[in-house]
Amino acid sequence: MKGLLLKDWYMMKTYCRAYLFLAVVFLVISFFSDENLFFVFYPCILCGMIPVNLLGYDERSRWCLYSETMPYTRKQIVSGKYLIGLMTQGATILVSGIVQAIRLQMRGSFRFGDYLAMMLLLLILSMISSSITLPFMFKKGVEKGRIAYSVMIGVVCAMSILFANLFAKRFGEQVLAASLLPVLPTICLIGIALYALSWYLSVVFYQKREL
Amino acid sequence: MNAIDIQNLKKAFPGFLLDDVSLSLPQGCIMGLIGENGAGKSTLFKLMLNMIAKESGSITILGKDSVSDSHQIKEDVGVVTDEIGLPECLTAKQVGKVMKNTFARWDEGEYDRLLKKMSLPEHKPFKDFSRGMKTKLGIAIALSHHAKLLLLDEPTNGLDPVVRDEVVEMLSEFTRDESHSILISSHIVTDLEKICDYAAFLHKGTLLLCEEKDRLLSEYGTVFCTKEQFSFFDGKPIRCKKETPYGVELLMKRQDVPDAIKVNPISLEELFVFMMKGGS
Repeated sequence: MKGLLLKDWYMMKTYCRAYLFLAVVFLVISFFSDENLFFVFYPCILCGMIPVNLLGYDERSRWCLYSETMPYTRKQIVSGKYLIGLMTQGATILVSGIVQAIRLQMRGSFRFGDYLAMMLLLLILSMISSSITLPFMFKKGVEKGRIAYSVMIGVVCAMSILFANLFAKRFGEQVLAASLLPVLPTICLIGIALYALSWYLSVVFYQKREL
Repeated sequence: MNAIDIQNLKKAFPGFLLDDVSLSLPQGCIMGLIGENGAGKSTLFKLMLNMIAKESGSITILGKDSVSDSHQIKEDVGVVTDEIGLPECLTAKQVGKVMKNTFARWDEGEYDRLLKKMSLPEHKPFKDFSRGMKTKLGIAIALSHHAKLLLLDEPTNGLDPVVRDEVVEMLSEFTRDESHSILISSHIVTDLEKICDYAAFLHKGTLLLCEEKDRLLSEYGTVFCTKEQFSFFDGKPIRCKKETPYGVELLMKRQDVPDAIKVNPISLEELFVFMMKGGS
């Protein structure tokens, strides 16, 4: 498994520089932006797609076949991609969280409830993209999985706009903490359960697939 | 112990059937798996590596079952395919680090030695390697985790004669250890003829023969005769027949040819072509 993660790390260093650049640009914009939280959410959605793209590169280079000749189980191969997803999403949320905390402190509008709600939403949004796409990719391959990718883009964009608008309208009114916060842990648990279910389905699909 | 034991193996795809294949490769030997494109060579390799599920039959690799002991088998087997599926951005150095964390018996020193021996650059991305360099890197990986068996699926495909010769030399070096075995598939029969102890002919999913190479070459020969002379062979077991405008060429076992008739020696390539074209 360590070998798989190391290989993905090397690939990310080469192929995901554009992601890093975009994430930094959006975080900088979000720092100076007053209301539009789309710039906060977008880097997380973007980084949620990294495992999907790595899988695409694996298929193109025929690594999917080559790795089958090595002492890896298909469960380990799938788990590797989900772990990479958790790591990249975790890192992005952490950086976004720090940036937003500084921003809110500097403006004197830091309220822990709102801040926590925003972080939980970031977590869910970043998990959703790979949760939807990866099982299709492991079942049908990257080419056919692109259909799921398109659906996911639509879902995540709709959700991000919805959340961004919600935050933009209510952030300053302290309504969010009171109205959304009680249900957010449940939504968050659903997000984590969805990620776990997605991993399980991917393992089952990939184990059955003939390469 | 046999390095490979395959019994009554069957695998069906739409439009293709690998039918009842049985073969054994004794430890310490090299077997050449010869077949035209689409004969089922790669399917056989995939089945041995448990990459696809078999319909029936059994496969034992180094005494272990190919399905239940797949993980242990892959520690002991080095695999080289016609296209080495490494990520394009990785350098040979990075590949070494990945493999160190992949194989339990990865030998860093041996890998570095092989890279130097093959003049492979350590810091050049894989995408910038020539086809020959890619194959050599695949061989270096296969040889650096103390594999006991090499499964080589068309490794010399698309390589120039110089690199092919180097590859063949490396494989010969590997089999100096008597516990090492190789199963190598190719349709470039001349390469196989140089190194193989055994030859197996696969044709449209059916194993036509699997025998010791020297025995095959000493056992079989060709006889050339006119169409009129062909009647002398009535009732004789003719393995294959090839008609040309100049006469008839027959593939026969030397023992079945009447003493007065000259038998021409046959190469593995000629034998293969004969069997593919003339039918068995």
